[in-house]
Amino acid sequence: MSHFPPLSMRKFFCNFIFGVALLSASTQFAGAWSLEEAAKPYSGTEVSVIFLDRPGYNAIIKLLPDFEKRTGIKIKYQIVPYENTREKEELDFSSNGELTVALVDLVWIGEFAEAGWIVPFEEIKKKYPDIIDPNFDINDFIPLILNAFGTWQGKVYGPPFDNYSGLLYYNKDMLKEAGFDKPPETWDELINIYAPKLTKNGKYAFALQSRRGETQSCDSFMRFLWPWGGSLLDAKFHSNLGSPKSQEGLNFRQSLEKYMPQGIVDYDHNDAVNALAQGNVAMITEWSAFYSTLVDPKSSKIVDKLGVAPEPKGPDGRKPALGGFSLAVASQANDKQKAAAWLFIQWATGKEIGKQYVEAGGISGRQSTYKDPALLAKYPFIQPMLDSWQQGVPEYRPRFSEWSKLTDIIAEWGTKMMLNQVSVKQGSDEIGTRTETVLKDAGYYDGKKPLAQ
Amino acid sequence: MTRSGRALRIQSQARVPERPLTTGGSRKPRFMTIRAAPKKTYSSGVIFFIAPAVIVLLAVGIFPLLFAVWNSMHEFILSRARSYALHGQPFLWFQNYLGLVNDAGFRESLFRTFVFLLINLPVQLVLGLLIALLLHKVGHEWLKNICRVSLVIPLATTLAVVGLMGRLMFNSSFGVVNYAVATVISLFHSIGPLLQGHFQVLHGFWRHVVPSNMIDWLGNPNLAFATVSIMDCWQWTPFCALVLLSSLTLVPPEIEEAAKLETDRWWQVLWRVQLPFMLPGITAILILRTADILKMFDVVYTMTQGGPGNATDLISVYVQRVGFRQVDQGVASAQAIVLLIITIILSRVYIRYFYREI
Repeated sequence: MSHFPPLSMRKFFCNFIFGVALLSASTQFAGAWSLEEAAKPYSGTEVSVIFLDRPGYNAIIKLLPDFEKRTGIKIKYQIVPYENTREKEELDFSSNGELTVALVDLVWIGEFAEAGWIVPFEEIKKKYPDIIDPNFDINDFIPLILNAFGTWQGKVYGPPFDNYSGLLYYNKDMLKEAGFDKPPETWDELINIYAPKLTKNGKYAFALQSRRGETQSCDSFMRFLWPWGGSLLDAKFHSNLGSPKSQEGLNFRQSLEKYMPQGIVDYDHNDAVNALAQGNVAMITEWSAFYSTLVDPKSSKIVDKLGVAPEPKGPDGRKPALGGFSLAVASQANDKQKAAAWLFIQWATGKEIGKQYVEAGGISGRQSTYKDPALLAKYPFIQPMLDSWQQGVPEYRPRFSEWSKLTDIIAEWGTKMMLNQVSVKQGSDEIGTRTETVLKDAGYYDGKKPLAQ
Repeated sequence: MTRSGRALRIQSQARVPERPLTTGGSRKPRFMTIRAAPKKTYSSGVIFFIAPAVIVLLAVGIFPLLFAVWNSMHEFILSRARSYALHGQPFLWFQNYLGLVNDAGFRESLFRTFVFLLINLPVQLVLGLLIALLLHKVGHEWLKNICRVSLVIPLATTLAVVGLMGRLMFNSSFGVVNYAVATVISLFHSIGPLLQGHFQVLHGFWRHVVPSNMIDWLGNPNLAFATVSIMDCWQWTPFCALVLLSSLTLVPPEIEEAAKLETDRWWQVLWRVQLPFMLPGITAILILRTADILKMFDVVYTMTQGGPGNATDLISVYVQRVGFRQVDQGVASAQAIVLLIITIILSRVYIRYFYREI
């Protein structure tokens, strides 16, 4: 080392130290993205959003003070019943109202995106690179729900926020008494083996919420198409209800009726959940969000007897009911509000609060949250829900804007079918003809609109 | 007693004593003929007293009405608002109205609403009349006061709450109505042996009418229609009763007493003496209840959402669906205007055939 002059050695050493310091500073800088720093320019901005009176929203409300404290952004939320949410949002967006975040049910995404009411994630990323958390990782969301709830025609608009899957809830004691130590694996088993033994002494094997409205069209009618290989529309958007597989599914629903309480055609979600909670029926297929109601001793008599499993399989596989909401930035918001809105959405659906959100009663859409075995053990409905999300169909209900018309048609004729006012064939034909008229008027058959659902 | 407007005008031209205008002068009443109301002059400041009411009326009544008419002649689908902002709303003339002719759903809902009206309005009127006559009887004043106050309770109840109450009361598994039915049946069973042979006949008849103790009120299309009707009658019969009771107080007691001396048949008194005084009240009830039933939404929406099938799909539920679920404000406005026209026509008919002043 003697050939190095002492001065240059010192210089080399200094440069080395400087280099290392710079490198560590730069890595520290890259990892130093913080919500507080990113939100500084937007402190004091108000974000306005609609919430529902459901566990997922109550959970985020519990965590909100922390966000507001850290960012200085004020979240103004109003709680609205689900039935009025769409009309309230549409009136607000069409009249340049005050909402800065859109709560988007999966069946509204086509309409909201086509109307230009919500901003795609890519645009936010491009316009506000500084507020995107490098840790946000959009690919961490469960692919099916990101695709179904937050994506329209290949563009992501918002991350999934309030997530549901259909599950089979059952009364373990009633099943045990009838000689079953596990829930039915298939619909066929349910109707042929379980149902006859469970329907006796004023108790029923199954309750299917079928009230006129979205309950009939989504929870009752569509549930009996996909697992049988049927569907509402074929590839060219003509009715597929007349196909043998769709008919098989719908006829199955009719035959299941004799194992359900009378008046099932007027059962809404709370009626079906209550029938199970009071021990009057042995099984229901309901949204994952009702788990908390069923394990609450105030509303349920079967807290210790509750079993949860994925929905039964049909001849074509599981394909359970799929529903949920994403959050997206509203186009009508001003630039500052848009950034603040995204910071809120990013935080509410982020990895950081995933576990807290679940603990507070919400359902995170992130795969990383559910890697914690303790969480899975504590909440028995999570594993069946994750299993269901592996096999669902994003277009379980078509997500184009015409769904709002189709759901009314299906709700009317679906209940008429169940009441035997029309046969399954007649009802399917009526729904088919009316559906095709709506889609024809919308321009799907003459190429004016792409065949996207 | 006069029976036409013309007679009424003639009567109003009768000679009436004129009050002395001053304390001085002759105190003897003079007679003059009133041919027209004396002309009154108002100070110019009166406009400030009337203006607020007129402005509010224009803002909350006339403007929305004109806006609805404008909407009904344009395409107005909420999800196309951005395109309207750029290119304007297409003017459709009467296309939205003509579309209603081919709209089977609209026709069926309208027909169902008229059936509802034809069943409920007479029931409410008759029951209201019976209650009013009972309350008009002399005696038991404190009981009548309690009754009058309790009649107001259904009227003061929010419509949506009435629907929710109905939904709970008529629930087939735990509703209080089915509980009452089951109690009556068990009572019937316990006294059955006393009735011997008759019991079998009665029991058979009852089972024919009600096959199960758990009556499926809201799941059966006909019963659901009946249930919504029952709740409507529960809420609005007291209104009819109160209006008719106030009409009954218009009957001069001396005429009523004289009539009661003439005959001991109560329906004669009702038909010839009381009913003529009640006609303005009855007309008001007919107009208000018709308008109410044509726009009846809350109770049906909370009880059945128009189901099962379309058994209770009344016209306003249908219009709401078109306007706020299918977000087609243009067509929904046309439907609302048609309803308004129907209400106006029916009101004119009621006034033409029922309205008489004594």
